[in-house]
Amino acid sequence: MSSEKLHNVISKVLGVSPSEITDQSGPETIERWDSFNSLVLVDELESEFKIKFSVAEITDVKNVADIKRHLRNHGITFS
Amino acid sequence: MEEKLSHYINKAKTLDVKQYEKTVRVAVLSSFTLNGLEETLRVKCSDLNVNCITFVSGYNQYNQEIFNEKSKLYEFKPDITFLTLDIRDILGKVFYNPYSHTAEERKEIITKKINELKNLIGTFTQNSKSKLVLSNSKNPDYSPYGIVETKMDYGIYSMIADFNSRLAEYIKNQQSVYLYDFNAFVNRFGENNVFDYRQFFIGDIRIAFDFIPALANDLIGFVKPLLGLNKKCIVLDLDNTLWGGVVGEDGFDGISLGDSSPGNAFVEFQQRILSLWKRGIILAINSKNNPDDALQVIKKHPAMILREECFGAIRINWNDKVSNLKELSSELNIALNSMIFVDDDPVNREMIKMQLPEVLVLDLPDDPSQYAKCITQLTDFNVLSVTEEDLDRGKMYFEQKQRTAFEKSITSLDDFLKQLNIKIKIKNANEFTIPRISQLTLKTNQFNLTTHRYQEEEIRRFASDKSTMIGCAQIEDKFGDNGITGVFIVKKEKEIWEIDTFLLSCRVMGRGIENGILGYLLGKAKSDGVKFVKGTFIPSKKNMPCQTFLEDSGFNKKDSEWIFDLNNVIKVPKHLTVSAE
Repeated sequence: MSSEKLHNVISKVLGVSPSEITDQSGPETIERWDSFNSLVLVDELESEFKIKFSVAEITDVKNVADIKRHLRNHGITFS
Repeated sequence: MEEKLSHYINKAKTLDVKQYEKTVRVAVLSSFTLNGLEETLRVKCSDLNVNCITFVSGYNQYNQEIFNEKSKLYEFKPDITFLTLDIRDILGKVFYNPYSHTAEERKEIITKKINELKNLIGTFTQNSKSKLVLSNSKNPDYSPYGIVETKMDYGIYSMIADFNSRLAEYIKNQQSVYLYDFNAFVNRFGENNVFDYRQFFIGDIRIAFDFIPALANDLIGFVKPLLGLNKKCIVLDLDNTLWGGVVGEDGFDGISLGDSSPGNAFVEFQQRILSLWKRGIILAINSKNNPDDALQVIKKHPAMILREECFGAIRINWNDKVSNLKELSSELNIALNSMIFVDDDPVNREMIKMQLPEVLVLDLPDDPSQYAKCITQLTDFNVLSVTEEDLDRGKMYFEQKQRTAFEKSITSLDDFLKQLNIKIKIKNANEFTIPRISQLTLKTNQFNLTTHRYQEEEIRRFASDKSTMIGCAQIEDKFGDNGITGVFIVKKEKEIWEIDTFLLSCRVMGRGIENGILGYLLGKAKSDGVKFVKGTFIPSKKNMPCQTFLEDSGFNKKDSEWIFDLNNVIKVPKHLTVSAE
């Protein structure tokens, strides 16, 4: 799977354009990425990818690369 | 389909700065994180053409906000305040280990907590005019005692049930306080869905994101009646809506309506509608059909629940549904924005949405088995109090239909009025009439000189104020009791009385009743030694019908005011009687 679907979800929840999103994007680079919105993001990702993250996974996320890593644990791979 | 929470959070940021029809100030207080609710409320209110201005208290700050009379909450001056407390916060450790205490102690704990809440509610109502909506607790679904929990004397299940019932009992008698049945909300969606442990641990969220929009719908169910946005009338299609199939093609015996599937879904749907009719919602029919075929089903079909007397007005014909709906609105004297249109045909629904956008069009699901659920989920019939008039309204509209038929059978209006035998009974504002008086000031648009809107508390204040005369009129005629349908509020000074409010429900307009009530009022002023009565007409979008009322009644214009000189003759119509209690 390409990163497009993931970037679209992040874009929708955090109000940034998908093209601005990189693996390094995180709370420092995206203004609306606060602790509450990171939970909203988790909720959207779970619906989109039909998976459930654990609390450990959720609290570990510091940037987009971390999200990808945890999605891979749930069988979602990125090309 | 309900949208996800992020949809509302994002949309709230882009809400148009537009002229809204109405504004409501909403405060949200809770003992846990309810982020996202505020945004959802604003978006959903905007969809109703309501500008929702919100105040959200800091995390778990509800006590400070309520007990400090100079708090930001009171400064905000909310119209309505939602207070949601989690039983975990109320009971603390007792929630986990109720059995560290004896049954006697557990009872005392609940009594103490109820008293604390009463104190909180009392402080709030003293400091604010806002309506207060307090949530009850969800019933627990776990006890360390397992199956013998129910054998315990005042166990944790009983504690919380008792807490809820005592809270409800207390709130029942509080004028401006309402209970939100959060337990019913959790029943509807299920504890395992509504409570997400992960969101709880990470963000102290006790209502999972996916259910915030549904919660907002329920809470807006309190806002709608506060703003007079509640619906009064359901306009129903017949074929494939009240029964399955098309009566014109399938015949009387061929339609689906009865004890077994698929006909039982329509019976269930009709039962739900009947229960709404019984509490005062008006029903009407708008159907493309051969009237004889359709009426035969309504009158004779053994499984039919809604019979002819349930319908205040009927349009069964081949005309287009838009003009039928407009006719129903004028026949019933119910504004289009108080109507809900129910039709299985998406094309008809789209046509109404396009041409009569003020009508609420119910998006009926394709599968009739979902009809009953669809109608029971509406929060648009909510009222803040139920009056006797509400309960009898369905019958009153049927009587009105008979009145109209009678009017048509008589050629002159004078003869009609004489034979109607109208009796006006003037009543004081008291415990029985105050809710109805408030309701009339909130809902009456057409015959309303000033359109001042008053909540029950304000009416109560007028009633106890000696310099104000407030009363209402109950109207009876040969066809039955119309209930309380007129209200007047007069500010009294020594020489001059000023009419603050004078209104008449549209269903009794045009029968000289307004003149009867005004005549009574002027007579009363005269006998009190008053010299002048002053009236004002404040034009609104809808009160054209009473534009010339003051002038026609002998008031003379001085600047922007209308003055009646009590030396002049007071005219009272001869075809009716006026009596006061």
